[in-house]
Amino acid sequence: MKKTILSLASGAALLAASFSGSAAEKLTLQLKWVTQAQFAGYYVALDKGYYKDLGIDLTIKPGGPDIAPAQVLAGGGADIVVDWLPSALATREKGLPLVNIGQIYGKSGMMLTCLKDSGIATPADFAGKTLGVWFFGNEYPFLSWMSKLGYSTAGGADGVTVLKQGFNVDPIFQGQADCVSTMTYNEYGQVLDGGLTPEELVLFKYEEEGVATLEDGLYVLEDSLKDPKKLDAYAKFLKATIKGWEWAAANPEDAGLIVLEYDDTGAQTEAHQIRMAKEVAKLLSNSDKGIGYLEPAAYERTVKILLDSESTPVITKQPEGAYTHVVFDAAAKL
Amino acid sequence: MPKSLSSLLLLAILACQLVLLATADSGFYSQNPAWLILLMACAVAASALLSRLTQLCESYPSKQAYIKPLIPGLFAFMLLLFWQSIVVGYAVSAVLLPAPSAIFSTLINNLPTLWTDFKQTYLKAVLSGYFIGCLSGFIVAQWAVKSAFLRKGLVPLGNFMSAIPIVGIAPIMVMWFGFDWQSKAAVIVVMTFFPMFINSLTGLQSCDAIHKDLMHTYAASKTQTFVKSQLPQALPFIFNALKLNSTLALIGAIVAEFFGTPIVGMGFRISTEVGRMNMDMVWATIVVAAIAGSLSYGALALLEKPLLFWHPSFRGNK
Repeated sequence: MKKTILSLASGAALLAASFSGSAAEKLTLQLKWVTQAQFAGYYVALDKGYYKDLGIDLTIKPGGPDIAPAQVLAGGGADIVVDWLPSALATREKGLPLVNIGQIYGKSGMMLTCLKDSGIATPADFAGKTLGVWFFGNEYPFLSWMSKLGYSTAGGADGVTVLKQGFNVDPIFQGQADCVSTMTYNEYGQVLDGGLTPEELVLFKYEEEGVATLEDGLYVLEDSLKDPKKLDAYAKFLKATIKGWEWAAANPEDAGLIVLEYDDTGAQTEAHQIRMAKEVAKLLSNSDKGIGYLEPAAYERTVKILLDSESTPVITKQPEGAYTHVVFDAAAKL
Repeated sequence: MPKSLSSLLLLAILACQLVLLATADSGFYSQNPAWLILLMACAVAASALLSRLTQLCESYPSKQAYIKPLIPGLFAFMLLLFWQSIVVGYAVSAVLLPAPSAIFSTLINNLPTLWTDFKQTYLKAVLSGYFIGCLSGFIVAQWAVKSAFLRKGLVPLGNFMSAIPIVGIAPIMVMWFGFDWQSKAAVIVVMTFFPMFINSLTGLQSCDAIHKDLMHTYAASKTQTFVKSQLPQALPFIFNALKLNSTLALIGAIVAEFFGTPIVGMGFRISTEVGRMNMDMVWATIVVAAIAGSLSYGALALLEKPLLFWHPSFRGNK
């Protein structure tokens, strides 16, 4: 009897605590991809307790090849998602009002990695070649680039043949594609690890081709911004996140190791994560206002690139209210 | 109340719900939950209509052929009505679940795209993979009947092979046979070979000794014995495998297309449009896949009837 009362009492106490005791605001962040140094800043901030210091109880959900962050957000599985601006804008046009509250990456890490042997030296040589591209929302920058160059993506001698590349670089090793998509911080390393040397490769960085679109940014649902409590929580989250990223950029080796600790799959290696953390640091937003500030000019450039691709319209009209500096400004005041 | 009149009343309830759907703004359930009562009434009306139809079916055996398809038809209509009502009534985001009407209009508007996908996945990969897989399974099974070596060696291997998930072999096949439909056909061959092999083997072995003796007394040649006695007796097993494989093949092709394709095909469409949040297009492709799967299953069932008229499972239900 005594035991029952005791357990009941402790149960009631726990229940009460969960309602009132913990002032920490619960937030869930859905990543765009699996746990890796691409998201080092969030893991660093979590590990160092930056979120906790500001009263945020953050849960980080890793993504994967079959997870569309926007869908998780729409389903209520997350409060904030990491997504790329092109897919976020496309989703917004589909009727799910995503809003950018902070832009972590200022530069695009995407590139097309080609074999020198295939005879490709400039984008003018793409005609008749086979190019590997990631889909699942990542194809937009590529499609606008091809549209800008005037290539049809339907194949043929004048167009380019597009392969849906799995999330690896096998096609370039198997001779099935002349070029594959790579990220500076991830797959490019895999190409080098696979035995190809930089001398054997030609790189086309989207950034240098003038078709770079904004990548990793933080998105929330528009309606949630109307709630002052939510807005406050987002600001705290963003502040801690920025602090995490600054630390990660300054200490990429340690950041890589921290990410490794959070990788439940055990699939990542130390060398790979450290290399990724170093590469990612080069992409972080370099605006005067610091990491996390979305440069309206960069946003406009992305929108223009997306609107310009006539053959495959990513978005058909100028988006309204797709980003806000409200959260960034509030974070700066904290 | 006469039966016909009450049936009309039940139909009127369903019609009311349809009118509501057609006229009300989206989100009408959130604004006015009272409308849910009408939806509940629809459920009651539909179940009453279903039992009425079943009764009709029994009392007019001559008209059964016309009434019988109405029953699953009404049931499907009810499901769609509920789906449409809930999605529109609560203004569920199309990113999560599009309404049937949106899926239907997407299907109609994208017929050319869906047709090229269908050609790539079904007409090229599925049919060739299915054909090669089933035929080779059958041929090897026929050898295995005669050779204890093959039989004892392949049967355990068959269990092993059927335990391999497609997600495991699909990337390997893409590596071996390239990105186009050939690699998908190869995945299907691997998936369909063993069900066919095991079933054919069991079927061909099930031949009664007494039949063999009879054929022997007729001085039948080996081919005659096979064609007239062994093969017909194995047919129920073979059809079993053919039906099983028809669904396996479609699943195999679609899943295999997730692992690298040229930019066409049903699996490609599903995986890509999910990323683009075009859920209505994803559902439209699923509808096409479901229709294709049902049609191939139905075609096999039609083929089975005249070939297996003598089998106990068919003799009973004329």
